Amino acid sequence: MTVDALINWFATIGDFPVLAFILAVIISGIPLFLVMALNAMIAVYVERKVSAFMMDRVGPMGQGPGLHAGKWGLLQTAADAIKLLVKEDTVPESSDKFLFKMAPYIIFIGAFLGLAAVPFSSSLQVADFNVGVFYIIAVGSIGIIGIVMAGWASNNKWSLYGAMRSAAQIISYEIPAGLSIIVPIMMAGTLNLQELIVFQSGTIWGILPNWIIFNNPFSFIAFFTFFISAVAETNRTPFDIPEAESELVAGWMTEYSGFRWAVFFLSEYANMLVVSGLAVAAFLGGWQSPIPGLFNTGLWGLFWFMGKLGFLIFVMMWFRWTFPRLRVDQLMHVCWKVLIPITMINIFGVGIWKLIFG
Amino acid sequence: MSRYFQNIYDTLSTLLTGMSITWRHMVNIKRDNVTLQYPEERWPRPERNIGFEHQDYNVIRSRLHVDIDDCIGCLKCERACPVDCIKIDTIKAPTRGEDIPNVKHTGETSNGTKKAMVVSRFTIDMSECCYCNLCTYPCPEECIFMVGGPNSSKHPIDYEFSEFERKDLIYQFAKKLSTEQKDGLQKPLPEAKA
Amino acid sequence: MGVVKGDQMVLNIGPQHPSTHGVLRLEVMTDGEIVSQIRPHLGYLHRCFEKHSENVTYEQVIPFTDRCDYLASMNSNFGYVVAMEELMEIKIPERVEYIRVIMGELNRIASHLLALGVYGLDIGAFTPFLYMLRDRERILDIFEYTCGARLLYNYMWVGGVSHDLPKDFETICIDFLDYFEPQIKEYNNLLSYNKIFVERTADVGVIPADVAVSYGVTGPNLRASGVKWDVRKDEPYSIYEKFDFDVPTGTAEFGTLGDCYDRYWVRMLEIEESVKILRQALKEVPSGDVHQALPKKIRPPIGSVYRRTESPRGDLGYYIVSDGTPVPSRVKMRSPAFTALSCLDEVSRGWMISDVIAILGSLDIVLGEIDR
Repeated sequence: MTVDALINWFATIGDFPVLAFILAVIISGIPLFLVMALNAMIAVYVERKVSAFMMDRVGPMGQGPGLHAGKWGLLQTAADAIKLLVKEDTVPESSDKFLFKMAPYIIFIGAFLGLAAVPFSSSLQVADFNVGVFYIIAVGSIGIIGIVMAGWASNNKWSLYGAMRSAAQIISYEIPAGLSIIVPIMMAGTLNLQELIVFQSGTIWGILPNWIIFNNPFSFIAFFTFFISAVAETNRTPFDIPEAESELVAGWMTEYSGFRWAVFFLSEYANMLVVSGLAVAAFLGGWQSPIPGLFNTGLWGLFWFMGKLGFLIFVMMWFRWTFPRLRVDQLMHVCWKVLIPITMINIFGVGIWKLIFG
Repeated sequence: MSRYFQNIYDTLSTLLTGMSITWRHMVNIKRDNVTLQYPEERWPRPERNIGFEHQDYNVIRSRLHVDIDDCIGCLKCERACPVDCIKIDTIKAPTRGEDIPNVKHTGETSNGTKKAMVVSRFTIDMSECCYCNLCTYPCPEECIFMVGGPNSSKHPIDYEFSEFERKDLIYQFAKKLSTEQKDGLQKPLPEAKA
Repeated sequence: MGVVKGDQMVLNIGPQHPSTHGVLRLEVMTDGEIVSQIRPHLGYLHRCFEKHSENVTYEQVIPFTDRCDYLASMNSNFGYVVAMEELMEIKIPERVEYIRVIMGELNRIASHLLALGVYGLDIGAFTPFLYMLRDRERILDIFEYTCGARLLYNYMWVGGVSHDLPKDFETICIDFLDYFEPQIKEYNNLLSYNKIFVERTADVGVIPADVAVSYGVTGPNLRASGVKWDVRKDEPYSIYEKFDFDVPTGTAEFGTLGDCYDRYWVRMLEIEESVKILRQALKEVPSGDVHQALPKKIRPPIGSVYRRTESPRGDLGYYIVSDGTPVPSRVKMRSPAFTALSCLDEVSRGWMISDVIAILGSLDIVLGEIDR
């Protein structure tokens, strides 16, 4: 289902390269949008249930007569989606209207572009770039433009605070994320995501799968630093100071309601999907099965990828409901004074390891 | 320098301890769940007899109710209310302790006290009531009480008495008397001496 | 060419805000993120308690005192009835004293649990809040079993209490205490020792001891700054002299003495002290009639009284002036949270906005008490 495959198929029908390109892009974009929407619905439901179970309560349950939210609250997200669609569309009077309306879509574009390169299985990937890893890291910083636009255009001091904090946070945390992702690239020697996954096939000492996280202690640490930076990139607790509920009401999203807020929400969960997808592909073996040799063909790849992805997203939710949040300057301290030195030492260490052990 | 590493170690160990606590709560949800599915499951009200010398006082704070046939019109509950939500009008009955059928007034309460007053208005504004229960203690006939609890044989428990309009929360307990009936009850003034 | 001088921004942490504890408006003058001045605006919850009490009789004032500090309603009642009994020189039975102490300490635990849980919520930890509220619900169930109400009790009357204890009260209470003590360890593991929480609260918002005394701050806030003052020990009332308990003060566990972490930690330790007092009191409750000292009609002699008691927020004082009629001439309540809020300005200069929220949460204010 990659764009390349579609263009080749169109070429066999007839000779219309430009139209073929446009059609191929649209046809492969639609499932991507559906994946995004489906992911948001499932992730919201799982988040509400996981948070509820951790707090000794049950979350949305859906009982009683009349219209209700399905057994165990399964239809709750659908009900929320319908509610958001029919809400009144308020645009503040004194805001910068054009920027206000454009901001959600820019964030959406950032998340959507990132999803294009995530390898769901050996054949399910919209665009198999030669520089896949670099592309995802680069595209991940488009979202910050949208956040600053949203904070500024709301003409609200609280939103401005949230947007400025978020800008500082996302820009700073891209550095440890990029430095940590260099470790698997150094070991595999390629930026292409599919080749990176294929590099991780085989076993170590016969039992452990040859994933990069198990390869050497430096890449083990690199996985954790990448994961922490990824959590900070997506503005989740403990790094959710931009949308700190108890201080800034809702931070840079304060003035948004209804469908615009739904687009923000969608993009946040899609961002989580992208960074978790990158972590799984680079460190945890992608769509390969953890039992070496078994269940490794065809659609099993999608199953293993989704399983590992689900686990990482669950860990992100686990963090959110357990820890308090860091203050802005402590956030910056963690980034610049703790994570960046560790990642630099990691790169150095992996280089030495590869030199010695090959 | 060593503080730096000590900090990192402290962070990781306390964070992992915290995560293990929430994990434990999550997997034990069937045992630890504290949510009730409200209309079907309700938390039982604690019922107890508090052993006053009168029987059947209760400790529930719920809706107020008055057994108007037992009310002797002493106005003690009206005076006891801190927010003045009880309003009572009484008319002196022409005879003491006898039934007056046309205004449906019974002459004796269920405890045997003879009534000297006809209660023409007894309204309690539940939207002003502060549920302090101070009106129930002074009543000598125990005719004003909060429903439920050990006297649920008289009235079942009711704490779900919300209404759509505020005026529906003003409870009228006295039997409605028209102006002629009220005039008929008043004793005629003695004729002026010539 | 000098330093570029920026303008100060006025930020309004408005009356409706998720983490002001009630309706409080804080006008914050900031320079970027650093706070230079805070002006609290009060009065959004003013309900004329003191004027009302000049128009109702002495026993009708008690539901009004409940509603001032609604989280520690038993202690508010306690303060008023102790002052009234001093004015009228009533001697109350031993059983009533024990019941009052038990109820006061249970309510102290409930109030501190709420304060700590909400403080965690302000800092961003969502889960400890729910655990603490779940345990507070059990205390409210005990109260409901005794007097029928969960939050605003109208329980302590001048000369006695309104209802006697149920027969199996002691078993229920001891069961609760046995369940509750291990939970304190869990709260500590989840929140108190958490490095992120410590980083947010240690060394933040230090109230030095002399500043605290000069502003009139009392209660756990004062004890966290190192001053060992507890009305239950220094001006004892009721039967607190019979019980053996410590007065925890701040120990600068993770930072300087008198910071937010110390105020949080002192409250946690006070919960444990209250559990100690409860266990001692439950063993020795004498029997008797709780209503025998209730006066037929409350008509105190002409005079005035000021009496302090220890509420979970500090020194709660009642000044009652009587002129011989059944209606008081003046009832004034000295609220501890008011003085705690007054030192917010000086303490939070130079800190960031997130720290202002942390400091406000650690002072544990209740707007009902401040605005009365």
